[in-house]
Amino acid sequence: MSKSAMSLERTVVMLNEDDTQGRPLADLVKEAAKSIAPLWPISSFIARHPWMGLEGELFADAADRWQQVYGIDLYPPMTVFYTALEKGEIDPVFVERRLQSWLDKQSLPVPRHEAERLCRSFLWNDTVPEEAFSLPEMAQLAEGTQLRPMAVQPISKRLDQIAKRLDQQMIKWCKLFYDESGGTWTLPQREQGFYQAWRQLVVTDPSLSKDERKRFSGWPHDKHEALNYALEKLGIRDEDVVAYLEAHLLALPGWAGMAVWRSHRAGDEVGGLIDYLAVRLSLEWVLTAPHLPLHGEENGERRDVLPLLAAWFYWTGMTPEDWRRLRTNEQQARLAFADRFWRIDRHHLWLEAWEDTDEAKLKEAVSTRHRMSEPEQVAAQLLFCIDVRSEPFRRHLEAAGPFETYGCAGFFGLPIQTRVLDSEDVHPSCPAIVDPRHEIREVAPPEEVEPYRFRRDMFRFVSKTFKKMKQHVLAGLLLPEMSGPWLGLHTLARSAAPAWAGQVIRYTKKSVEQKPKTTLSLHYHEGDETTGLPIGLTNEEQVEYVKQLLVTIGLTSSFAPLVVVCGHGSETTNNPYASALDCGACGGVAGAFNARVFAALANLPSVRAELAKEGIVIPDETVFVAAEHITTVDELRWLEVPPLSEAAQQSFDRLKQALHDVSRQANAERMMKLPHVGGKPRDPVAEAQRRAVDWSEIRPEWGLAGNTAFFIGRRALTKGVHLDGRVFLHSYDWRDDPTGEALARIIAGPATVGQWINLQYYASTVAPHYYGSGDKTTQTVTGGIGVMQGNGSDLLAGLPWQSVVSSDRELFHFPLRLLVIIEAPSYYIERLLNENSEFRRKVENGWLRLSSIDPNSGAWMKWGDTHSLSVWSREMGIGK
Amino acid sequence: MGMEWFVWGWLVAVGIVFASAIIWLFPRMPEQYVRIHVWLLLLPGAAALAGWISAGTVEVGMWRFDTVSWLVGIYISLLSWAIQRFALRYLYGDRAYRFYFSLLTWTAFAASLTWAGGDLRLMAICWGMPLIGLVALTALKKEWGPARFVARQMALVFGISWLAVTVVAIWLGTATGEWQLASALSVDPLARLDAWEKAVMNGLLILAAIIPAGQWPFHRWLMESAVTPTPVSAIMHAGIVNAGGLLLWCFSPLFSGTGAHAALFLIAFFSILIGTGISLVHVDYKRQLVASTMAQMGVMFVQCALGVYGGAVAHLMLHGLFKATLFLQSGSVVPQVGGAGYRKAGGSWRSGMIVGALLGTAFWLFASGEPARLLSALLFGASASVAWGRLADFREGRWFGFAVVATLAFVSETVRHQFMVLFNEERAFSFVPSASFEWMVGMIFAAAALAAVWIANRRTSMLAVRLYMRFVHFGEPRPAAMETHPHYLTTYMKEGMARE
Repeated sequence: MSKSAMSLERTVVMLNEDDTQGRPLADLVKEAAKSIAPLWPISSFIARHPWMGLEGELFADAADRWQQVYGIDLYPPMTVFYTALEKGEIDPVFVERRLQSWLDKQSLPVPRHEAERLCRSFLWNDTVPEEAFSLPEMAQLAEGTQLRPMAVQPISKRLDQIAKRLDQQMIKWCKLFYDESGGTWTLPQREQGFYQAWRQLVVTDPSLSKDERKRFSGWPHDKHEALNYALEKLGIRDEDVVAYLEAHLLALPGWAGMAVWRSHRAGDEVGGLIDYLAVRLSLEWVLTAPHLPLHGEENGERRDVLPLLAAWFYWTGMTPEDWRRLRTNEQQARLAFADRFWRIDRHHLWLEAWEDTDEAKLKEAVSTRHRMSEPEQVAAQLLFCIDVRSEPFRRHLEAAGPFETYGCAGFFGLPIQTRVLDSEDVHPSCPAIVDPRHEIREVAPPEEVEPYRFRRDMFRFVSKTFKKMKQHVLAGLLLPEMSGPWLGLHTLARSAAPAWAGQVIRYTKKSVEQKPKTTLSLHYHEGDETTGLPIGLTNEEQVEYVKQLLVTIGLTSSFAPLVVVCGHGSETTNNPYASALDCGACGGVAGAFNARVFAALANLPSVRAELAKEGIVIPDETVFVAAEHITTVDELRWLEVPPLSEAAQQSFDRLKQALHDVSRQANAERMMKLPHVGGKPRDPVAEAQRRAVDWSEIRPEWGLAGNTAFFIGRRALTKGVHLDGRVFLHSYDWRDDPTGEALARIIAGPATVGQWINLQYYASTVAPHYYGSGDKTTQTVTGGIGVMQGNGSDLLAGLPWQSVVSSDRELFHFPLRLLVIIEAPSYYIERLLNENSEFRRKVENGWLRLSSIDPNSGAWMKWGDTHSLSVWSREMGIGK
Repeated sequence: MGMEWFVWGWLVAVGIVFASAIIWLFPRMPEQYVRIHVWLLLLPGAAALAGWISAGTVEVGMWRFDTVSWLVGIYISLLSWAIQRFALRYLYGDRAYRFYFSLLTWTAFAASLTWAGGDLRLMAICWGMPLIGLVALTALKKEWGPARFVARQMALVFGISWLAVTVVAIWLGTATGEWQLASALSVDPLARLDAWEKAVMNGLLILAAIIPAGQWPFHRWLMESAVTPTPVSAIMHAGIVNAGGLLLWCFSPLFSGTGAHAALFLIAFFSILIGTGISLVHVDYKRQLVASTMAQMGVMFVQCALGVYGGAVAHLMLHGLFKATLFLQSGSVVPQVGGAGYRKAGGSWRSGMIVGALLGTAFWLFASGEPARLLSALLFGASASVAWGRLADFREGRWFGFAVVATLAFVSETVRHQFMVLFNEERAFSFVPSASFEWMVGMIFAAAALAAVWIANRRTSMLAVRLYMRFVHFGEPRPAAMETHPHYLTTYMKEGMARE
């Protein structure tokens, strides 16, 4: 290719720079961005599922596209199913049932018995056996047969080495631009935006060749213009633009997701993505220019039809003569059918069978539960987060005495942003789908704040000096001498006695800092505002939030003398994923703050007086107390205990007494599930404590791994059932919710959070390299915002490998889509589905599963299978 | 006599550790055994401690022990114990779990043997052993493309280093007719060598030393070594990269020409610049650590170039503790939500400079016995000025914090000083740099620091931008050393995840 062809001639006048195919560029980018999800920084890890924008498609169709275009499997491989089958996790009866009902619904290209034979063979064989390929004419037949054309692929992708270089370049620029680690020498011109900064620097980049750098002369300085220009130079047809951009976004979905998040934070929907794409496509053109235009035959590899042909011949008894006799469109139909079934549908059927088996077991457990006698006098009621880790703790607690537990989202319905004592940081302490509306601050008298700051800043002074020395050209060279002996001592202590040293370090920091007792800024005063949000709540808001939660969970009467509001948090050491183990409903931090706010609100006499007017009478002797459930060690810690009434005091003492054993039992149960070097530990509590502080612990706890169902209903239905820490439990009493509003709220809020969490675990398991974040031991924290693998990679979004597997050879989390179970009459469910189209879409398209339990008959009903929302599984006889 | 029993004791202890590492590989060995294995790693350390206290300098056959070798024996034993204690839980569940322990043991204790070698042939053999171990450790994740690539690259450059040492050892042995290290390096045999012979040998020694230390122009492998699991990085940065310092220390009587020292200084200084530059511009934590190692090893070689071998050995040990800890702790660098709240007052840098200058001068005046004191004074002054500068960032508690920092630094400095005294008493070194060389080195460092300040104030100037991009480029891995997503995990999934 001659050089002149590569030089950039601006022959096309770009009159309408923001316009492709008649649609504004921003719209096209927005459309393409449906394929990725925003990525929050790892410090407040938000469980989000990667396919938010795809819920309009059937799960299987999305999987088909992803598999075909990007080579990413949205299903586990067949071997995983076979292993599950061997272990009894899948009942083969369901596989057959699913196959039959699937065949019923398809328009088949061949007689049913033939299709059935082929499908069944595919279901039970991972690959087509060797001997199937032995027919000599097959290769010739395959040669002459083509399967549908490939989808749109980036030009760089078709030139393999260039794709690698392009990705490397993007990773480099992204990490430098999105860095938040507070380094000293940050990317020059960063404040001008990604594209602008890049455009100015790239011409000096020594990693590009001289020719490549030359090609930038005259390249647009405006990002919109650049993106349009690049698309044009690359020769992308208007109708392919969205697909083309999508393919580019999916090359590095993590970095692109970070661009989306940054954009959102700045209040701009796609601006950041346009920057990102403008850089990426400009670079693509510069790197690929000598190879352009690409010829048709270079459009990716041809799909191999040989195994499909072999499968037809081998399993259906068809002969090459039969095949030749078919018309081309018949051949195509057969191949397409086999192709899709082989790649997608057989996995889908196995997945459904696995889910059916799981559901059947759950149903069995619930319907055969040992009904516990209700205590006459409830000593205490405890509100826990829906989090699956609450379930074992609640179960043991209920068994230990007259204690009632409730489940609700761990932010207790408070859309607040929080500011801890003497900090400049605010944190949105509510789910990512909720926008904070108020700010609540922790306050203390100045005469206590100052000494506190003294103690705290002493530590900070030391650590900041260390950090600054590290970044100093000369001082950094002396740092090993200055800090080596101390760091060495620290390492030796942590190695000699991991548990002891870890606890001493944690205790020392806490006791020296000695945070003073704080109060919360609950009440709004005129003019109190910060970053646009009012500080504190008005009287009406206080009442409304308390009422809303109590009604939603069905706690509107029969209050016990003590009501404990339990937030939850984790305690881990040296764990970049620490916040992934905290409360997802509180924006990825511990839920203690929200628990304190809620308990304080519910204790306000003014709030109680208003509630009483609305029929919710909280007796004077009832006291709300805030506590925190530490999931890593299964402990309940008191956060704020106000003066107690006599009855409350008695309950409090009783509860405290019971907690010791509850903690031990819950830990024992949990420790059974965690892998241990050389056998189970003798003392589960000590083991849990060690895991919390041991800096070498790779799996401090399982987090939400194993989650499979989301139960919305009265606790009575699941009380005493061993749910194995796999079920989200949300309390709900349909009788208190005649309008269905509360149910709609639960579905829109907590259940959606549950679905996000579930699909994040699902995605991290089925595509651990792409939607997970890979092996923890080879990760490196990047720019303080996330992790990469090894020398550099995409900004990895999901859960690490160790969070979903017990070892490199054993899966811990079973990738099953969330089953939402609602205890309510059918018409509640119908109403819900009719009124909430988003939820209906999730159910219809298979992004979650829905069942209900009829409160009167106790019948278990399954809702919404693929296209039709119909009750069909009553006949299926699940669990019989 | 009888002192040689300490040497035998130590060798037996090392033998036990090696045997344990092999036994552990048998699948039938129960998993609990790994705990015993890890505790056994302290055995050679204990033997070395006993040897140091009781025996002092001993030579037995091919082995030679003095303060440095005993202390390094303790150091390696403690460090590999700590790292393997860490790996015990950190690597649990890995496919190559057992191999990691065996190879970590092999790598560390083979290095330990090298330090105790008193024979040229033994040195030549031992030099390659830990390097092989390191390559094998990197290759353990063989399913992962970048790891395979990096392991191959490492094998290649380490091969060069090994070859260079072997050539020097054989050449020296045959030319002097002495195989024992101490004899070959004593005055008479060395006098028999021609000047050109010495020059080439010095060149080979530099080559052999700078490769494992990742010095320019052999820094690529180090920059790309972030593919290894954290504990492997820890042992690499605490125990292998500094082997070059040992080599020069062992061969210091031969390594005596001013020209060789100047060349070593230039390479080391250049590496410090590049390493520091990379660690300043790059944002992934492990890369920052790796680049800092490159700079720190440069410091070690600058000390060697100035003839301060005691200082170099102290530096490499303290750096080992420092870097191993930072690697093992690399999971802790994610910022905490709600943790912020600094008041950036933007304190006056002038007062910091003055404090630094005063302290530096004071150090220079009082530490008259300190070798290369000008450089040390410069670094001390800079550190003091950084600490002083932090006073502007805080209000309450800052003086107390400053006092804590000062105390910690004082204790550390005492430790370092004691180390130096201990090491310097050990051997008399033939190379004493001229005062002008020392001053020149000091001035070059000062000039580099001033240039850094100048650039820091002109971030957007063309020169600064070019430099920035250059440092970014220096630190970037080659495309083959990275992968957008760790695809090998899909292979793991396809293999069924069925426990064997």
